[in-house]
Amino acid sequence: MFDIATIAVIFAIMITLYRVIKGPMIYDRVLAANAIGTMAVVLLVLIGFEYSRPHFLDLAVVYTLINFIATIAFLKYREKGRLD
Amino acid sequence: MQEFIKEQIIVRTVSKFFTPFIQLYAFYVIAHGDLGPGGGFQGGVILGASMILYVIAFGMDEGRKRVSQKISDIFVSTGVLIYAGIGLLCILAGGAYLEYAELPLGSHHLASHLGIYGIEIGVGITVAFVMITIFFETAKKERKK
Repeated sequence: MFDIATIAVIFAIMITLYRVIKGPMIYDRVLAANAIGTMAVVLLVLIGFEYSRPHFLDLAVVYTLINFIATIAFLKYREKGRLD
Repeated sequence: MQEFIKEQIIVRTVSKFFTPFIQLYAFYVIAHGDLGPGGGFQGGVILGASMILYVIAFGMDEGRKRVSQKISDIFVSTGVLIYAGIGLLCILAGGAYLEYAELPLGSHHLASHLGIYGIEIGVGITVAFVMITIFFETAKKERKK
């Protein structure tokens, strides 16, 4: 069950990767990269269940937080030209 | 000024809401370093990331009000001092450097546990404030350009 879901999520990541590479605007790319980050979190949780290692949930939460901060920082730098 | 605040209201509200949870999670990661994944370094990075999020949302001046240059300099040294202090206490208690089991805290198991705990806290403080300092310096350089 979990392995089928894992393969499906990997396939979804590949489709989204197309938008990151091809995306006409930078906002498409940022949004797609953010979506890939979210799907990577799901992938981490699924792999954690697959190998029955619940500690992977901790890593997934960390990845969510850092992904959120990275997206906001990138967009701010893009808009204002500085980080603060 | 008023329009400037209105312009960023979503980012500011969300980051204000998220910052305490990120910090709580950072303390969880530091405290559970010997049981799960994580430890002092990882928890410190998350703790620094919460402050970086605050500075990104509210600007550098507002962030410097929370963590001034002086405070961050003091805490960067304090973490190293805790680490080295625990190591030297182990030597004074008759063991090698960082041999926690020799600390006079009851049983060897408890002493080892508490020693690792103290080390993690020291590493966490140093890493968090070094991350904040690196971010402030980078942002200052970008601002001057």
